[in-house]
Amino acid sequence: MIINILLIIDFVMLAVVVTGYIYTSVKERRFLRQEAGQSLELQQKVYQTQVLKEISERIGYSLDTNKIVEIITSSLGNLLEYDTVAYMMLEESGKIIFKCHVERTVNHEFIEQVKEKMLLSYSAILNREIKSANLDESVTGNILDDNLKVGVVSFFNLPVVISGKLVALINVASGEAGRYGEEQASILYTITNQAAMAVSKLQAVLDSEKGKLSAIIYSLADGVIMVGLDNRLLVYNPAVRSILGLNTDQEISMFDIVDSLAGKVDLRTKIDQAIAKDQLLSVPEVVLKDRALEITVSPVKNSDGEKLGASVVFHDVTSEKSLEKLRQEFTAMMVHELRAPLTAVRWSSESLIKNLSAAQGVEPGKVKDTVMTIETASNNMLELVNDLLDVAKIEAGKFELNLQEYDLVEVINEQVKVFKSQAEVKHLAISITAPPKYILKFDRVRVSQVLGNLLSNAIKYTDSGQIEVNLNINAADKRVVVSVKDTGIGVAREDLNELFSKFKQLKSSDRSRKGTGLGLVVSKGIVEAHGGKIWAESAGENLGSTFYFSLPIQ
Amino acid sequence: MTKVLVAEDDKLISGSLCDALKAAGFEPHPAYDGEETVAKTKEVKPDIMLLDIMMPKLDGISVLWELKADPDTAKIPVVVLTNIGDVETISKIVEAGAVDYLLKSDQSIDEIVQKVRDVLQRTVHLA
Repeated sequence: MIINILLIIDFVMLAVVVTGYIYTSVKERRFLRQEAGQSLELQQKVYQTQVLKEISERIGYSLDTNKIVEIITSSLGNLLEYDTVAYMMLEESGKIIFKCHVERTVNHEFIEQVKEKMLLSYSAILNREIKSANLDESVTGNILDDNLKVGVVSFFNLPVVISGKLVALINVASGEAGRYGEEQASILYTITNQAAMAVSKLQAVLDSEKGKLSAIIYSLADGVIMVGLDNRLLVYNPAVRSILGLNTDQEISMFDIVDSLAGKVDLRTKIDQAIAKDQLLSVPEVVLKDRALEITVSPVKNSDGEKLGASVVFHDVTSEKSLEKLRQEFTAMMVHELRAPLTAVRWSSESLIKNLSAAQGVEPGKVKDTVMTIETASNNMLELVNDLLDVAKIEAGKFELNLQEYDLVEVINEQVKVFKSQAEVKHLAISITAPPKYILKFDRVRVSQVLGNLLSNAIKYTDSGQIEVNLNINAADKRVVVSVKDTGIGVAREDLNELFSKFKQLKSSDRSRKGTGLGLVVSKGIVEAHGGKIWAESAGENLGSTFYFSLPIQ
Repeated sequence: MTKVLVAEDDKLISGSLCDALKAAGFEPHPAYDGEETVAKTKEVKPDIMLLDIMMPKLDGISVLWELKADPDTAKIPVVVLTNIGDVETISKIVEAGAVDYLLKSDQSIDEIVQKVRDVLQRTVHLA
């Protein structure tokens, strides 16, 4: 009985030990199995990262879809086994590119099957039939052997989507069954997706940069065009139309541009030269109908140094050139105006010396005349030099006034008196309309100068009629307005504002009536230094003119 | 007496020129603007002319063209006397048919009188 009991205990104990052992080993095995699974997953993760890294390194900043797809395709070998890897791309021209790399020898039929499966898939994705007629096919890698009995047993197609657009289809195929499960497909899908996403982002950045660049080119005041190697117009901005006067709504061509230059410059040759010599060419001044252009032609290359064509910039230099011309005219005029009194002084002194050393003695009346000529000429010259100095001071902002209280009416009367005799020579009457007295703070010498200038101009440019001087006190506007009205040659409307500018005045002035036009420039400076304004009104040429200037009432 | 037409709008310069010409034994005839110059040339028929360029009403170059277009005045030798020294003006003057061109401020009055004598002598020989 006891033995039986002991046996039973023994048995139970054994059972416990065995169970314990079994339990442990099962647990261990389960653990081992788990670990093995994890390490496979880890290994694949590492591969995946490596492949992605390799792809991104090889793609770099390229946006060439062909290159990108090729790189992705050739990197897949690290991740899975296949007999062939291929990609298919539909180009904009309708051409289909099919490239297949043979990893392990297969037969022609195998390649045909891959192609067929890809075409079907492509058609399904695009929802339209893609025909193999336009296929541009190339097969690389291992040799094909038609004696080999092999067909596509496992395969899958992988769409490559960049910036939301299907750019290609990648296919891996194998003659062995069950090669590609869900797991492989998902890994490949992830990789392709990530690579495509990176490219999409890069493209977005580049597009935005390109957008900024085109916005800049479009907003430029200079006309900009880009011409291809085949002499075709690739890009042009709106300024090209306005600068070259191409007022058409239609797209412009290289022919229109060359035509608009009217043979003034051989643009095609310049472009060819710039491209051939690989250097910038500039044509400083091309004068078209009403404008002067500076044309710069530069060769355009891509980052690999490959020649793409040339860019041409049309810069309008009309205003610069006309200003330069005005400046030259101004200098020439000044020289002329200074030479006249100098000549008179020189010749007068010459004849004076001759007279004084003449044997028969000096004729006193003659000497007086000659000396008076010298005096007048010197005064003219001094006046001119003073005007020039005043203009220089005004331009430098260094014009100083001596402001005191004076009677403005008295100053007007005084100046009219000075010019009375000059006016009488031309039978012109000068009338004054003003209150008996008006006290104001101003620079007496300078305001006299302005009045004198306006009166002398009125006399110079009026051959018949009269001159009216008016003093108007405008208490509401806190200013007095002095006007000098004549019945002379008047001023064309478009020239009214230009009368007071240093260079423009000369252009509009009648050269036959001498004068530098500096008087009005100086007058403007004086009036403005007082805080006043100067302006002119005229109904038109030969209809007389009125010059006004205002001075503020403090 | 040899008649010299003095086309010059600057009274001071014209006065000096006329005085000097008179003293040298010529008969000066002053004209003070372009239109007067053309009219006076047709009236006086001078032997030679001193012509300014910048003159009121009609500039010297237009005067020159007008005189050269009229067979009565076309043969009168014209010496241009001006203070404009730019190449463009000079070429216009030569083109219009002036026999000589002098820059006023570069010449003494004696030199101008001498120039009148020289030109007259040359043209007389040619005739």
